[in-house]
Amino acid sequence: MTSPRTYRALGLTLRRSPVREADLLTVVYTREQGKLELLARGAQRLTSKLMGHLEPLTLVRVSVAHGRSMDQITEAEVVDAFPAVKNGYENAARGLYVAELIDGFSALSVANAELFNLAVETLEALGTERNADLALRYFDLQLLRSSGFMPELYICVECGEELEPDRHRFAVGAGGTLCTECGPIDVVVRPLSLPALKLLRLLDRTESVAALPELAVPPPLEREVREALTATLQYWLDRRVRSQEFLETAKFA
Amino acid sequence: MAAVTPIMVSEYNPGTARSLSRLIEELNRLPGIGPKSAQRIADHVIRLPAEEARSLADAIQEARDSLLFCDPCRNLTDASPCEICSNPQRNQEQICVVEERRDLVAVERTRAYRGLYHVLHGVLSPLNGVGPEDIHLPQLFDRLRETDSPFQELIVATNPTLEGDATADFINRRLAGTNIRITRLARGLPVGGSLEFADETTLSRALSGRSALE
Repeated sequence: MTSPRTYRALGLTLRRSPVREADLLTVVYTREQGKLELLARGAQRLTSKLMGHLEPLTLVRVSVAHGRSMDQITEAEVVDAFPAVKNGYENAARGLYVAELIDGFSALSVANAELFNLAVETLEALGTERNADLALRYFDLQLLRSSGFMPELYICVECGEELEPDRHRFAVGAGGTLCTECGPIDVVVRPLSLPALKLLRLLDRTESVAALPELAVPPPLEREVREALTATLQYWLDRRVRSQEFLETAKFA
Repeated sequence: MAAVTPIMVSEYNPGTARSLSRLIEELNRLPGIGPKSAQRIADHVIRLPAEEARSLADAIQEARDSLLFCDPCRNLTDASPCEICSNPQRNQEQICVVEERRDLVAVERTRAYRGLYHVLHGVLSPLNGVGPEDIHLPQLFDRLRETDSPFQELIVATNPTLEGDATADFINRRLAGTNIRITRLARGLPVGGSLEFADETTLSRALSGRSALE
């Protein structure tokens, strides 16, 4: 039996780049089939019926035809354009941060519905009055969990003992928290304050980004948690998170 | 997006002369030119009459050696200031900000704009790590903040994309509090387009920017 020549999928557009005269190579993270690289023929043309539907950070329903070298989008229909996320460069940069990490942590054609839902819910939260930075930290931690890289936050990864208050450290390379007695060699160990550990545990235990409590996180605490999570993300990604750097410079621009 | 390393075509061209292989490899480095296209173009080039082939090589060399950025507008030019910046007939009070040189050409083709330009040579792009200092934005702000700056209106003509809009927002916020009127190109339906295929963002912008029939 031959497989169907076309299929449909609900996906979030992560990025796109021009190819050939007027085509676009579009990377879409779909709920059904994970990350897909799809060709949109003629989509750079102003009159293309696909053009506006394939902007990055758009939830889109696509019809795709199997191609010899690459699958091609034949139809696209916007489900949610997240206009509030695209309104202003800071929020757009936050949205693209979500896209960059989803892209970086997924392999082609490996479905992860949990990750898909996390991305969509985070973009929805960024469009509200919520604490956007806290929503991104929630995204960071849950992305690590969904991808299988969740750092340990409750016991020492070396001896397995439960952590005592203020007698803990954090080592990305070791896999999370350490007690003060254990010191594995060849890993960078960083201090982590008790409030930072508590905030990380809160992010871990919260069921969804919409359920995050309205917290006024002091900037130094937010920075400490962000740095611990960024270090973890970059360790597993094995490269810098470019949009994170952009966000930090843009805030002070 | 990280640059994709081109496939070195010589590995796939057994029995090809070394000089021809080199030409194919160089062509293969160009954007949008794959190994097969590179071979086709190379075959075409070597069949050209000698003077045409030399003219092509000279054009590449001359463009590479003589082009420079126009000091005020940052367009590529043979001499600074460029023809547009040095033309007193242009409206000296309007400045149109475009992403690329190609966009300037597109606006000029309309013959509907007679002001000056500023070419950014890029756009803010968080995914590619392109920040304000990586494009010609500081030069724009310097130009607008000169004490004798004549500009009354700044038209932001960056593309209506996520990155283009982010750049427009950045410019708008940086110039808040100045007396310059900041405008953005209208967004809506293209000529010859169809409502049926319009995405919701374009259609809602077309609705909010609707104008009275004259």
